[in-house]
Amino acid sequence: MKIVVLVKQVPDSGAERSLRADDNTVDRATANNVINEMDEYAIEEALRLKEAHGGEVVILTMGPDKATDSIRKALSMGPDAAVHVVDDALHGSCAIATSKVLAAALAQQNADLIIAGAESTDGRVQVLPHMLAERLGIAALTGARKLTVDGSTLTVERQTDEGYEVVTASTPAVVSVWDTINDPRYPSFKGIMAAKKKPVQTLSLADLGVAASEVGLDGATSAVLEHGKRPPRTGGNTVEDSGDGGVKLVEFLATEKFV
Amino acid sequence: MDFDLTPEQALLRDSVAALGKRYGHRYYVEQAKAGKNTDELWREAGDLGYLGVNLPVEYGGGGGGITELAIVCEELAAAGCALLLLVVSPAIAGTIIAKHGTADQRAQYLPGLADGSRRICFAITEPDAGSNFHKLSTVARQDEATGDYLITGRKVYISGVDACDDVLLVARVSKGDRLEPALFVLPTDTPGFSYRPIEMEILSPERQFELVLDDVRVPASALVGGSTEAGLPALFAGLNPERITVAAMASGTGRYALGKASAYTAQRTVWGRPIGAHQGVAHQLAHAHIQVELARLAVSKAASLYDSGRDLEAGVAANTAKYAAAEASALAVDTAIQVHGGNGMTTEYGVATLLGGSRAARIAPVSREMILNYVSQHVLRQPKSY
Repeated sequence: MKIVVLVKQVPDSGAERSLRADDNTVDRATANNVINEMDEYAIEEALRLKEAHGGEVVILTMGPDKATDSIRKALSMGPDAAVHVVDDALHGSCAIATSKVLAAALAQQNADLIIAGAESTDGRVQVLPHMLAERLGIAALTGARKLTVDGSTLTVERQTDEGYEVVTASTPAVVSVWDTINDPRYPSFKGIMAAKKKPVQTLSLADLGVAASEVGLDGATSAVLEHGKRPPRTGGNTVEDSGDGGVKLVEFLATEKFV
Repeated sequence: MDFDLTPEQALLRDSVAALGKRYGHRYYVEQAKAGKNTDELWREAGDLGYLGVNLPVEYGGGGGGITELAIVCEELAAAGCALLLLVVSPAIAGTIIAKHGTADQRAQYLPGLADGSRRICFAITEPDAGSNFHKLSTVARQDEATGDYLITGRKVYISGVDACDDVLLVARVSKGDRLEPALFVLPTDTPGFSYRPIEMEILSPERQFELVLDDVRVPASALVGGSTEAGLPALFAGLNPERITVAAMASGTGRYALGKASAYTAQRTVWGRPIGAHQGVAHQLAHAHIQVELARLAVSKAASLYDSGRDLEAGVAANTAKYAAAEASALAVDTAIQVHGGNGMTTEYGVATLLGGSRAARIAPVSREMILNYVSQHVLRQPKSY
């Protein structure tokens, strides 16, 4: 089974993040750039499938030159190879344009299974797996908390607010996963040393037959018009307890719809 | 001059840090207080190849150097999980056996050391001799009929004996009319070999032991390097890795303490502002931070010199790093406790728990005073004081 895992480099969600003042895109220059957290679960799931069923795991990343750090880390966890789509014209691409580029790259891979994190911690729109499935004309099994493979049949437990749904499809398909699906491994030292020898194919827009005018800030179907800093935290409410503190607390929670 | 880690070293650092963070100082303290060990962490780090980064690839190691092992030591300590056996098992025993062991000894011991499934402790210190190997009273005499050695003596402050499969022991053997140091590796359950814990005021899951050897019979194959000639060079091979990894661990402990302290002072508010806004508090932390960073530079330099085979320079650098890191770590822990006020002495805030361990780094494996003697005599060319 050939599995392609989508890996995105994002600013560390645990640190200060911002958008650029000049074009409202993600500020990568001042950020600590890491693998999108959910993608590590996608990598882990792919590696477990490979360990159980054999095959090959390939990382696919679209991002600037600096994204090689994340590709290297992804490879150190165990995948066999990587494809890096890098082109200056991609800067500021919207989700639709991104799906066009990734679909073109995936078309060259003939994967049985494409696994992605259910969302990225920077964009958080959760649409890319669906868009890719649509463009490739294959099934989308999204938001998985469990994935089983039996021959060419895929079964996922699709996580919902109320519980989960069991959804099946045949390969090839796109599966997106939540962080409930597994515990990603740490890169072993051997994995780290082996990663630098693994093949990383670099592709430009021209290699993929996608015109620069269809991507980037100018080709984007959506735009961030302005942005501002998160408002400072307000003081909050102090509940004075004059024998009715408990009631007041519950009233507050009810007003805020916590209970 | 390049102060950057290689991409592989940076990834090792981040990976070990992530593993250490999942366990954390609370785990370390709980295990220590319950009289338990840190086997889960040790095993997981071993499976990931972090414990054998410095050992040869042909024996299952990572093929890196002391630089890589120092990264592992520092990052685990920076997560509040300083594992002393890293210094003893892969750094000292691993280096000595890899560099000076016989082919059989390398094949027998290195694969287990590399994946952490085998642990070897190191026994040199004695009640009277300290770690002066020319004065050791533990003696091995050869039984001429069988070629076996019979070892008798006593050792103190030997770390982690209960957790180890074997002990790498420094004894003296007769050579003509003189006694010369020699190293033996033997299982900790060899008849005649006994050990008992020494009560220490150090909160650690790794305990200290006294050893008694009463005519312990070992085969000639237990002699490291297969000859008594191998003793001194083998012993010296272990010293620099020991000092460098201890220094890395102390630096990590310093980082951990200052991380806890600065997080606390940035949010702990008294009279309307965080206490970190007061220079009397912030400058203490900044001062300790600079000391720890200087120590880390000294550790990197020593590891780099050692890994490039410049042993003589590495000796001075390793001692310098050990001195600097132990002082910086003790200062960082003391400062962290002070800025926490009363909270600093609680178990909950997890800084006073480091007191014994960080203080001990100024004494072991070589005391501050012995390093000053070494630098006085060998760097500054002063007359011998003893």
